[in-house]
Amino acid sequence: MKNNIKVERAIKGLTQEDLANKVSVSRQTINAMEANKYVPSTVLALKIARVFSKQVEDIFFLEKKD
Amino acid sequence: MLLLRLLPHRFKIIGWLILIPASFAGVLLSFSGFQANWLYARVFAIFPGDIFGFTRPFSFIRTNITDTVVGILCIGGAMLVAFSREKKEDEYIASIRFSSLLWAVCINYFFLLLAFLFVYGTSFLTVMVYNMFTVLILFITRFNYLLFKHAKPVPDEK
Repeated sequence: MKNNIKVERAIKGLTQEDLANKVSVSRQTINAMEANKYVPSTVLALKIARVFSKQVEDIFFLEKKD
Repeated sequence: MLLLRLLPHRFKIIGWLILIPASFAGVLLSFSGFQANWLYARVFAIFPGDIFGFTRPFSFIRTNITDTVVGILCIGGAMLVAFSREKKEDEYIASIRFSSLLWAVCINYFFLLLAFLFVYGTSFLTVMVYNMFTVLILFITRFNYLLFKHAKPVPDEK
């Protein structure tokens, strides 16, 4: 699964720390998601989408290998 | 998210304060065989384990407890460090916690396997002594390494 959290974050002008605080997770989690090293839980994906006022599927995408 | 039940974060610091001196003491003890004269006590032993003669199981014996104290401090300290929450314990931290534990158990048994193959006689007892602590030590090392690795600031942060 891929995501465009980094892009969305840049549009909103948020740092990793800001986003981490908004969805109450550690900065490591945001870091790992942006590096595509961690697939978030559904709850966290929904929370992130809400911060960016978008649908989950506008932020997270399936890849061919999924 | 359902997370592991862990101790509060402050226990991690307490754990380090116990673990570091205790492990130094432990390594020193294993080399020197030192026993503190003032550390004799009457203890309840399920297996007194005296090599000479018959000893009754489930009896009180008087013995030196230097090893006992240091061993308990090592395990206690390591447990506190290993099973305390991070400042912000979340789903990703929980996932690296699990993967580190799996990694630690695998590596530990791999080394134990090598020890079975290549260490014989009384030297194997030394291996067993260290092996009592290595799972926890490997886990703590791996988990904290991964936390540290992912905590590094990202260079293209804008």
